Amino acid sequence: MTTNHRHTPGRRAVLGGALGGALTGLSACAFTGDGSAASGGAGPSGPADHLVVWFPGTNQTEIDLVTGEIVPAFEERTGATVDVTYLDWGDMSTKLNAAFAAGTAPDVFGHGPAAVADFAVNDRLEDLGPYLELLEPADLEDMDAALPGGRVDGTQYLVPLSIQGSLIAYRAGDFREAGLDPDDPPRTWEDLLEVARRLTVRDGAGTITRSGLLLMSDAIGRQQSFAALLASAGGRQVDGTSPATAAFDSPAGATALDYLVTLFAGDPAVAADLGQNYSDLPPEQQPLVTGRASMTMSTAVRAQSMHDAHPELDLRVMQPLAFSGGEPGVLGGAGPGLMINKDSAAKELAWEFISHLLQPEVSGEYTRGIGAIPVRASSVDDPYVQGSPVMTAFVQAADAWVPNPNVPGWVQARDTLSGFLEQALNERLTPEEALAQAAPAVDEVLAKAARAGGA
Amino acid sequence: MAAVTAPAAGTASAAAEGRRDRRSRRNRTRWIGVAFVAPAALYLLVFQLVPVLYGVALSLTEYSPLSRGAPRPVGLANYAALLDDPEFGQALLVTGRYVLMVLPLTVAIALGLALLANRPFRGVGAFRSALYVPHIVSLTVVSMVWLWMYSPDGLFNEWLTGLGLPEQRWLLQEDSALAAASAMRVWKALGSNMVLLLAGLQGIPRELYEAASMDGAGAWNRFRYVTLPGLRPMLTYVVAMDIVYLAQGFAEIYVLTQGGPLGSTTTVNYLIYTEAFQYNSFGSASAMAFVLFALIVSFSGLAVRGISGRKS
Amino acid sequence: MSTTSTPARTAPRAAAAGRGPGRRGAGVTNVVLLATATVLVLIPFLWVVSLAFTPTEDAFGAPQLIPEDPTLGNFGTAWDANLGQALWNTSVVTVVAVLTNVVFATAAGYAFAMLPFRGSTALFYGLVSTAAIPVSVTLIPLFLMAKQFPLAGGNDLLGHGGSGLLDSLGGVVLPYVIGPMNIFLARQYFSAANSDLAEAARIDGAGEVRIFTRIYLPLAKPLLAVVSIFAFTGVWDDFLWPLVVTSSAETQTVQLALARFLTSGNVQYGPLMAGAVLITLPVLAVFLFNQRAFVSGLTDGSVKG
Repeated sequence: MTTNHRHTPGRRAVLGGALGGALTGLSACAFTGDGSAASGGAGPSGPADHLVVWFPGTNQTEIDLVTGEIVPAFEERTGATVDVTYLDWGDMSTKLNAAFAAGTAPDVFGHGPAAVADFAVNDRLEDLGPYLELLEPADLEDMDAALPGGRVDGTQYLVPLSIQGSLIAYRAGDFREAGLDPDDPPRTWEDLLEVARRLTVRDGAGTITRSGLLLMSDAIGRQQSFAALLASAGGRQVDGTSPATAAFDSPAGATALDYLVTLFAGDPAVAADLGQNYSDLPPEQQPLVTGRASMTMSTAVRAQSMHDAHPELDLRVMQPLAFSGGEPGVLGGAGPGLMINKDSAAKELAWEFISHLLQPEVSGEYTRGIGAIPVRASSVDDPYVQGSPVMTAFVQAADAWVPNPNVPGWVQARDTLSGFLEQALNERLTPEEALAQAAPAVDEVLAKAARAGGA
Repeated sequence: MAAVTAPAAGTASAAAEGRRDRRSRRNRTRWIGVAFVAPAALYLLVFQLVPVLYGVALSLTEYSPLSRGAPRPVGLANYAALLDDPEFGQALLVTGRYVLMVLPLTVAIALGLALLANRPFRGVGAFRSALYVPHIVSLTVVSMVWLWMYSPDGLFNEWLTGLGLPEQRWLLQEDSALAAASAMRVWKALGSNMVLLLAGLQGIPRELYEAASMDGAGAWNRFRYVTLPGLRPMLTYVVAMDIVYLAQGFAEIYVLTQGGPLGSTTTVNYLIYTEAFQYNSFGSASAMAFVLFALIVSFSGLAVRGISGRKS
Repeated sequence: MSTTSTPARTAPRAAAAGRGPGRRGAGVTNVVLLATATVLVLIPFLWVVSLAFTPTEDAFGAPQLIPEDPTLGNFGTAWDANLGQALWNTSVVTVVAVLTNVVFATAAGYAFAMLPFRGSTALFYGLVSTAAIPVSVTLIPLFLMAKQFPLAGGNDLLGHGGSGLLDSLGGVVLPYVIGPMNIFLARQYFSAANSDLAEAARIDGAGEVRIFTRIYLPLAKPLLAVVSIFAFTGVWDDFLWPLVVTSSAETQTVQLALARFLTSGNVQYGPLMAGAVLITLPVLAVFLFNQRAFVSGLTDGSVKG
């Protein structure tokens, strides 16, 4: 018994000590983990003849391309070794968060443009401006549609590997059936709505069985639809950079949101299935394929795959639309791309890797492999683009791409805005109310993110 | 090792020796208990509890893993902010409703299946394995199938149309989305619950059934007075486990609804994930996590007490 | 004196008992009900199998279970996505996790039920409650601990200098070594056991380890079966931790291998489903093997008080 009494506190002390020690060790590492102390195989350390890359993409074609051609060619030319990990950009944040906290982030990593500003404001990214200056001016101009999407406050941090954007795709057969000319599609959103009304089909009970026009209305999609309409209406989502402030609570914003709401809740409505994420549905379930819709806003990859799988549908793609009297605008621009870790010990090498991917033939092969829009305007002459009316239409639209803003806190700001858009779409709020309430909420998010970076 | 001496009854000294004996045995038992527990406990203390304590510390700060600076202490501000965050309040309600929708149904069905699969017959193993399949198929993969089944042109609407009923917008309506997600979770949780209850059923002594039968008890009474009480410890575990896991429901929501429509399926853990990995706000994510933790622990504690009765 | 040898198996023997409902064969109704339930439960999985044989372009086309144009190509594509290596890696991690859980979690649960010591209840609840913390919060601290693991991956005794357990199978297994809920489960199982057996054995001079391994463990086969199945599936289905802790193909787990077909906005349904079927098979085999514990005659019922 006595032995017991003597030992019990001792045991506790030992346990407590171990716990405390572990905690302190952890905290010491995490709280000062600024990456400069990065070490080990997974970190950006070591001699400058080794490169760690986290590549934004898991498509087999791009894995084959990068592992089979780009890396060997690069290794042979530079004598360096490269470790590449392939990740879907949706999984990138989780992995990068842990890696930055522990100081093991890679030399080069990829992500979507929406995340760039948060890395930049935390001083994690290398300014790529000086590196880009090494390229030919003609080269830069060739990529002019893509590059702005990778800039934060005028500084280039991300080099996009592809362009992403959405245009309206339509079934030519439905046009003819409704007495419309598929070779002369609408040029304005107003005309588009008229056409959509003629294309909409209802059953006896008045339920829409075929939507005339579907714009994205799911959690992320509805913000994209809104942003596309807003751009065409001459509005902007935010002003300034750090902190940015909401600019969508404007007459242009009201026009845009009003239009979106009218599609689903107008009299008569032209769109059903509010809230469904149709863009991520399997090809055979796409509304244009099943016949649940005659026109949908569609990404290049989707439009291309539907076009290839169902030539009988005679799918076409419209050029960007404008509101009457305005300029056409459409949400798009930089897709996922590559960034360089500011703490990398092999920045020159890292840039060489990126610039290798930017070479016209490599870049062309890459975008062809993943079915995306090429970053270079000159690729309009590429057989890949030439051979596909769908891809041609997307490349031609390059001038009208308007990227999402790259400001700190954008991901959260976007989701906040999206929440209010949803309330308007469900008629809980009028479009004006929704935008008026969203603006201060978004301002708060943006201000907080800018503060966090400044601290 | 102290050998057990047989009690030599008769003399006072022997009795005293016996007492000392028992006492030393109890001491030995205590230490041996510690030894049994030590490997697992030490491991968990280091690799489970330390991260948790780290999280507690972070919940009192503002911290982004991307930041180069140290976490900024903010006291209880993160918790205070949750108090008047309507989104968090709604997520708590959604989480509670989700648990209540899934738990009773999955336990009841699993119990039924376990009773059916408890009888030995040729091929019963195949049935048990088949019923366990939902638990082992990759959740992401199988969610895609459910997503399609619920889609406007999906299997469920196909069936409804076949029966001459109107189509439903399962995941797209505020009033049905959570129920639809729950249905998938019931399905997914069936296998593990059934296996546990099956193990519990196997532990019930057959002679109890014998005795009950001899006393003339019918099937229902045997279930009521033999099966249920005998199953109590396992049932307790099943309910506690379901509460712990269901209240942390996230992956199925992520795939099926992304928390919508109108936040009707945004669970607390969905918020936590978004806050931590989309918005990089680890401080407030941790605060949410510990509020959730407190609720899970109290509710599962209540459930454990409620079901196990005298045992706690 | 110290060698009392009378076996203390005082428990009633079930062998003598007649045939209770637990032993009786199943009636036709029973089998039909079970079969119906099984078919219903299997429907989503049957679609997974069906899609595994369907070319990706046709996925989810006509709602018919037998694909019009079946192909085996998806399995080849899935296998080429490093699935062989991933299966091996996951198996190694799984074997470790199953062993550690079966041995240590079960022993701990047994002690919490049968050999309580001062503070054991508090310790028990403390350990088990850690299961109620969302992974999102513990992911990064655990990652830091993996990186600072002493004497691994080039680290010194204090955990500095190297990459620790990052990108190694040792790192992957870290969160699965002991499942707190498995301790809970074992405690529940043993708390229902008859402690007279232990008491009698002690009087007979048996040591505690012997009492545990020779008397109670043999009676706990269903428990061991469940603990191993759960430890197995826990490793098999996890995505977030392996995603964070591994980076090379050499340490990839099965779920990471599948992620190759889950590109946002461009999912490769055929290979994805084929891969899912392939990685489900080993788990099913283990389950089939394990489930025999549920019918083994060894659970003679004496474990209950």
